[in-house]
Amino acid sequence: MNFEWTEQQNAFRARVRDFIARELPEDFEHLSRGGPASKEVTEFSMSFCGKAAKEGLLVPHWPVEWGGAGATAYEHFILGEEMWAAGEPRGGQYMSVNWIGVTILKYGTEEQKRKYVPPMAEGRTLWCQGFSEPGAGSDLASLRTRAERKGDRYVVNGQKIWTSYAGLAETCFLLTRTGQGKGGISIFLVPMDTKGITVREIPSLVGAGDIHEVFFDNMEVPESYLFGKEGEAWSIITYALSNERVGIPRYALARKAVERAVDLLKARGEFKRADVRRRAAQALAFCEAARMLTYRVLDDRARGLPPSPEASVARTAVAAAERNATEFVVEFVPEAISGADDLLLEHHQRAIVASIAAGAAEIQLNLIANQLLRLPR
Amino acid sequence: MDFHFTEYQATVESAVIALADRHRAVPVHTASFNIYGAALDEEIAASGFHEVLQDGELGAVTAVGVILEIAKAPASVEIMASTLIRPLVCPDAPRPLALIDNSNRPVRFLPHAKSALVLDGDKVSLIELAAGDVTAVESLFAYPYGTLSKAALARAKPIKADANELRRLWQIGVAAEICGALDAALTLTTDYVTQRQQFGKALGSFQAIQHRLAEVAVAYHAMKWLIYRAAFSGSAEQAALACAYAQDAARQVCYDLHQFSGANGLTLEYSLHFWTYRMKGLLSELGGAGSQSLRAANLAWGEA
Repeated sequence: MNFEWTEQQNAFRARVRDFIARELPEDFEHLSRGGPASKEVTEFSMSFCGKAAKEGLLVPHWPVEWGGAGATAYEHFILGEEMWAAGEPRGGQYMSVNWIGVTILKYGTEEQKRKYVPPMAEGRTLWCQGFSEPGAGSDLASLRTRAERKGDRYVVNGQKIWTSYAGLAETCFLLTRTGQGKGGISIFLVPMDTKGITVREIPSLVGAGDIHEVFFDNMEVPESYLFGKEGEAWSIITYALSNERVGIPRYALARKAVERAVDLLKARGEFKRADVRRRAAQALAFCEAARMLTYRVLDDRARGLPPSPEASVARTAVAAAERNATEFVVEFVPEAISGADDLLLEHHQRAIVASIAAGAAEIQLNLIANQLLRLPR
Repeated sequence: MDFHFTEYQATVESAVIALADRHRAVPVHTASFNIYGAALDEEIAASGFHEVLQDGELGAVTAVGVILEIAKAPASVEIMASTLIRPLVCPDAPRPLALIDNSNRPVRFLPHAKSALVLDGDKVSLIELAAGDVTAVESLFAYPYGTLSKAALARAKPIKADANELRRLWQIGVAAEICGALDAALTLTTDYVTQRQQFGKALGSFQAIQHRLAEVAVAYHAMKWLIYRAAFSGSAEQAALACAYAQDAARQVCYDLHQFSGANGLTLEYSLHFWTYRMKGLLSELGGAGSQSLRAANLAWGEA
């Protein structure tokens, strides 16, 4: 066992930190208070990601021929930790960096690779994922948005919801139904300016421009937009989401929020209180537990092992860390939620998502019960 | 980062598991609050597992592995003081070694101990125990407990030892014993709810039970890696955090594990209490989770 970073990993983290420190404006916490989906961060991300790409810090874990640098699973995650804790200056582009790009490289046609991968590697495009529907959330396989073949074209009708980044995204990774059951789902890569798409932002607690409804009304797309084979979506997204199975390194920002709250409490002399100190340490313990369980999953990934239910253990611990950190802030630094601190406000908005997005906490508990504890169904 | 034992460490772990496997069975017709594992203790000592810490290639993570495995046995043995503390703090002290952080309370393993280490603020002292020093007391907690006479306490000899270092090792040890006991208790309860049928199906198929047991599993895995990291790094802050987390979690999980075992779990004939009541006994050690949290806060952010 060894829980230290290697020299190479430390050097990589230092490079990322230097780059972030150099490129983020002093008022970035204020600018990014609306979250990574806000218009301000999305605009900022277009220049920031371009610079990151030139520094080799946008897609270092991708294959070299597509702009990558052969970085390891841990370096990929170190990059994610530093970016997320800095307020995610990549905006919604972290999605294309983390899973959309590598999925297109694995399953896309040569034409799709050439069309979509370079703009991602150069940091100049934003995607959204058309997964959830009003009737298909945790039960994603029940989705009903239908794509019907008409000659060499498809006509798509239906609705997506909770779609992050849809308002400003250029392209959608869209799941549609072309047949029955899990084998009847197909993916289309669709430009968001295609006729027949309507996007409506849903005002939310989690940050500006974050969640949307997307309507597809007789949207016609050519056959070439189909990604993978018809009916192949389930196996593709299982692969794609395995790249995201430990999710966002939210514990990094949760810990930063706890540290910020401690600084504020110290400044006004309230950190002398034993109850406050105990509660801060408890929040810290939850953040560190989430960190260790996430690294445990990365250790498997770095060894090329298949996904295990321990990813769900990590995801559950991350949600608990977010909850613990925000509850500490709400109890002892409530003014932060009323505009006194941009970072704590932004963290609070984003933290509530941790137990809902990308697989609800209860789904993770189901997976732990059935796959890790092997309890009967 | 490497979450796996080296080949040498794994060999030692396998040997510990093989030894522990010989002591997994609960004696038939046992109906006691605790079983003291005298034979298990002798085998551990004879196998040299108390000395793994001093072997540079094995070190503290292997010592934690030993404690985790032995704490899964239904019988209790003095493992963490001899494996993690004695080699560094008082290598010549006769064992079993009892640890005293509050002399007003009954102390684990005193009835079998040959010496006792006393932590009092920043002072560390050692008592070699003689006949008549200890009065055994019966306790619900599944360890042998005893109280120390005032005369014995008065014989305590200060030793050159860093109290903070002792506290750090003790925190890791307490957390590791909780973690091992939790592992055994969770396995037993998982088996029970898989076998036990009500309303025509296994209890463990009800989501109300599945989710809470899944959360117990999360607590177990979380504390395990916090403990291993603290043992590896030698960081006092990480030791305090790991112990705070483990003591905090133990409180909740003991309730749930008994709840799902129903009246069966209330009987002395069923072995659940050997682990849950051991965890309950460990909740108060070194002042409990609150004290550990306070110490972690002091180490992370400075004294008040």
